[in-house]
Amino acid sequence: MVEGIRRIDETHWEVPIGYKPGMRVPGIIYVDDILIKDIEKQSVDQVANTATLPGIIRASLAMPDIHTGYGFPIGGVAAMDLKEGVVSPGGVGYDIN
Amino acid sequence: MRLLRSNLAKDEVISRIRDLVEALYIEIPSGVGSKGKIRLGHEDERRLLLKGAHWAVEQGFGDASDIERTESGGCIDGADPSLISNKAYERGRAQQGTLGSGNHFLEIQYVDEIYDEKAARAFGLFLGQMTVMIHTGSRGFGHQVCTDFLVVMEEAIRRYNISLPDRELACAPYSSPEAKDYLGAMRAAANYAWANRQCIMHWAREAFFKILNISPNALGMSLIYDVAHNIAKTEEHTVDDKKMKLIVHRKGATRAFPPGHPELPAAYRAIGQPVLIPGDMGRASYVLVGTEKAMAESFGSTCHGAGRVMSRHQAIRQAKGRSIRRELEDRGILVRSAGRETLAEEMSEAYKDISNVVDVVHRAGISRKVARLRPMGVIKG
Repeated sequence: MVEGIRRIDETHWEVPIGYKPGMRVPGIIYVDDILIKDIEKQSVDQVANTATLPGIIRASLAMPDIHTGYGFPIGGVAAMDLKEGVVSPGGVGYDIN
Repeated sequence: MRLLRSNLAKDEVISRIRDLVEALYIEIPSGVGSKGKIRLGHEDERRLLLKGAHWAVEQGFGDASDIERTESGGCIDGADPSLISNKAYERGRAQQGTLGSGNHFLEIQYVDEIYDEKAARAFGLFLGQMTVMIHTGSRGFGHQVCTDFLVVMEEAIRRYNISLPDRELACAPYSSPEAKDYLGAMRAAANYAWANRQCIMHWAREAFFKILNISPNALGMSLIYDVAHNIAKTEEHTVDDKKMKLIVHRKGATRAFPPGHPELPAAYRAIGQPVLIPGDMGRASYVLVGTEKAMAESFGSTCHGAGRVMSRHQAIRQAKGRSIRRELEDRGILVRSAGRETLAEEMSEAYKDISNVVDVVHRAGISRKVARLRPMGVIKG
């Protein structure tokens, strides 16, 4: 089990602001008590890293099929404000579409 | 991801499954760096990047009804072919209409469970029905676009003084020329992927006509939906009760728009967007439907698939001495693969159980289960 993350309810876990320095929003991982066991620390770190990006709105999200990717986790959703926010190729990945 | 329905029941297909798998394997080029039947001249490729699935339909691959049931009509605005490197053009030239390798596949399946009768009916699904699922994307073309723009973004983070905990997050402000250029190129790659699946679907249908000696009407193999899962899109969402335009990055995540959303085809507007979730080749895949909860919580997004639990390398090691092909065949799943190690890399144990993944998004309410599909025949890259 990855340390420093918190169960919100039976399908949501939080990566709290403060899990890593510079997080602007929390991370939310859609996961239950079964799948939480498969989650790698590196992919949780990536959820937290994504939460530091300028203009990120609400939360750095990850789906239950989360695994480690290039920069951003695979199974990740990050929505950015058009004024302050950034666009990142790592947030889409190599296999576009 | 793309899913086709049919008028056929599992039992009408199973006796011909070997011939169908063989015909599909021959008709649809697969494997690492596979080259297709299409050779694109520079001007053709440029047009394809602008027109997406429309380009494929113009070439005679499928028809307008397919376009209607494709996310963004199979063509996203704002693609800019002038931003594409020669190397990307070169890689894209011979790979249009190819499946590729890795987790890409074409699967003959049957509906073995229906959870939501009303939505299943709207999508044209029934119990015991044969379906065909296609998973592939923009191939080497999109890979090259990503590679090219990671270099551009490395410079951008210095220019705009963006401090990052990991340089793999390299990015640029939405309003910057670098971000505009990336999005123009990424959209071209997205269009390449939509055209690719449209071509493959066309050849898949032809293989079915030929092997089953059946008319298009009797086969009824029409597109249910085609949806992206690695894309950044500008969309309107409600944040703190205010409507806002956002750039939503989905990486291994599927759009899951609710009933009533203006981007849905008329046929699904009352039901919600079909969400296609592939599992590993030995277990199952799912059809879900988008919800209001997804719109409110996850920017209209849900999961994409099973997600790996083992690296490709680990999987190959664990599969040593086993015949994954035979193990699957013993369970009634006929597999044909181009790559020698693909079946080991892609074996069930290398993935999370798709049923657990889908259960979480269903219970969380960010999409709802409609039907489960079981594999009968699989073409792997």
